Amino acid sequence: MKGIYIVGGYPHIDKFGECFKSVVKCGYDFIEVGIPFNDPVADGPVIASAINETIENGISVHDIIESLIEFRDVPIKKYIMTYSNIVYSYGIEKFSENLKSVIDGIIIADLPNRMRKLFYNEGFKIPIVPFATLETREKDIEIIMNSDSDFIYFVGIRGTTGAKADFTSAELIEKIKLLRKRTDKKIIIGFGVKTADDVKEAMDIGDGFVVGTEAVRRQKDIDEFESYIESLLEKISS
Amino acid sequence: MRPHNGFYGPFGGQFVAETLIPALDELEESFNSVRKKKKFIGEMKRYLHDFAGRPTPVYFAKNISEKYGINIYLKREDLLHTGAHKINNAIGQAILTKYMGKKRIIAETGAGQHGVAVATAAAMFGFDCTIYMGSIDAERQMPNVKKMKLLGTEVKLVDTGLKTLKDAVSAALKDWVFNVAHTHYLIGSAVGPHPFPEIVAYFQSVIGRESREYFESLGFLPDFVIACVGGGSNAIGMFHDFITSDVKLIGVEAGGTSLNPGENSATLAVGKKGIFQGTLSYLLQNENFQMEDVHSISAGLDYPGVGPQHAYLRDRGRAEYVHVFDNRALHAFKELTGLEGIIPALESSHALAFVIDNRDRFKGKNVLICLSGRGDKDFGIIEKVNLEDI
Ligand SMILES: Cc1ncc(COP(=O)(O)O)c(C=O)c1O
Repeated sequence: MKGIYIVGGYPHIDKFGECFKSVVKCGYDFIEVGIPFNDPVADGPVIASAINETIENGISVHDIIESLIEFRDVPIKKYIMTYSNIVYSYGIEKFSENLKSVIDGIIIADLPNRMRKLFYNEGFKIPIVPFATLETREKDIEIIMNSDSDFIYFVGIRGTTGAKADFTSAELIEKIKLLRKRTDKKIIIGFGVKTADDVKEAMDIGDGFVVGTEAVRRQKDIDEFESYIESLLEKISS
Repeated sequence: MRPHNGFYGPFGGQFVAETLIPALDELEESFNSVRKKKKFIGEMKRYLHDFAGRPTPVYFAKNISEKYGINIYLKREDLLHTGAHKINNAIGQAILTKYMGKKRIIAETGAGQHGVAVATAAAMFGFDCTIYMGSIDAERQMPNVKKMKLLGTEVKLVDTGLKTLKDAVSAALKDWVFNVAHTHYLIGSAVGPHPFPEIVAYFQSVIGRESREYFESLGFLPDFVIACVGGGSNAIGMFHDFITSDVKLIGVEAGGTSLNPGENSATLAVGKKGIFQGTLSYLLQNENFQMEDVHSISAGLDYPGVGPQHAYLRDRGRAEYVHVFDNRALHAFKELTGLEGIIPALESSHALAFVIDNRDRFKGKNVLICLSGRGDKDFGIIEKVNLEDI
């Protein structure tokens, strides 16, 4: 599963739409659309400043949701990536009603696995993708398996988006082995994938990857964006 | 008041990156194990007594009482080492850090009082220490920046967002994700993910406990207990031992220049429920679900969230939350300085201002106010306003 993260509505709705289509055209399996929140604690400087610029440009959460609804029938798996407050304050049930037939799942950066039930109890019906991290313990795996999502989001670094992962580190490989032993859900490597070589390594140890920071860095220039996301796939056979 | 599964009623929780969950679990386990241990409690009491200067007095402020016709008692947290209640929590959590075997401490600071308290504890216990501070706060609380550096702490200025307390917390949370294995995040107020609000309230509850003992020795309890609320640590510490009494509890938030969006930090007055920096509580947000700009003349109150215990006490009707505007806080600052020879922190001045500005309501009553800190850190701000006109 090959995926690209882009910031929704960045820098404007139409530019974002071009990038969205480009991800589909280049043969990716899924797209993650970030809905901006102006306290992005999981994001490094590149994505954080794209988020802030989008908000300053007056792009609202509603605008992004509307454009996602417009793309409903585009043939690619769609995920939203955002922060708890966006879903909570929009209205947990309302968010779910408006988007459950539009997206395949949601990644909420500040909603750890054990807090998902709070959203489900309030009527949230979209699969919330569970996280595995370098800190994941045996006892955390139960709650990861116990999920309606089709994949696990593996955070391969200690840090924010934009930092570099070390795919050869023993601890990372051990963690993935541990997950493999306990679940047959797909393991998608998020955070720290930047180059065609990273992509190859991520595909070797996991079932997929998502590239964020380096894609967002190019989101303002569609040509640069497209040649970059194309180049990422050079070293793997699709 | 104990949380249930990390929540106070609907408020609280753990809204952080998954990476931090094991660290929060470790913190909770360590805290629950040491809080009952004689050795830990003994060590904490000794440092609070010998190093920080506890117990602090309750002072009957005769002159200001006479002028306003109210019996005003001040809990003198301003007399503590480093000049504010923040040292209670800094020492408690520093000892906890030692028990957890971690070698590095990070913290955020707004007014710099928490930063100085943590830097002080770090110097004494021998921890590496990094403090995050918004660059605007650093400018308006410069003496505290200098103190932290003298104490051997690395001060990292935060230039993102509004460059104030909220941004310092975000930067500290990011640092913690990177360095979680050997670092403790010594949060400075009763905010953030569980178990922080509970831990901070526990270490600050000494304020209310001593106050209650004082009044019990006089044979009565005060009619009102009042404290300023930034994140809410001095207030929850002050309220803690009075919650089960029928004493009226009032938290005073910063009204800034007005209740219009962006011009205050009166979270409980104008905020909505939401999730921010680890906790579900009230917060200042706009119609696009983004955190609102905040303002207060006092850097320590300048925060768009509020601790979950206060959200809960408010919704249960157990405590009342009010706000005071910048210029009225300055007025109270001037009054206390001139009448009692006590220079209060601008944060604490908000609590006093509410009492003297509503003198009819408090006429003849016994009112206990938490004087959470002293005001010398605020000279940079005071110099810019003309106190004569206030
Ligand atoms: C003297 C003083 N009082 C009050 C506060 C507000 O914090 P809290 O609401 O956590 O007590 C601060 C924060 O910096 C402070 O320095």
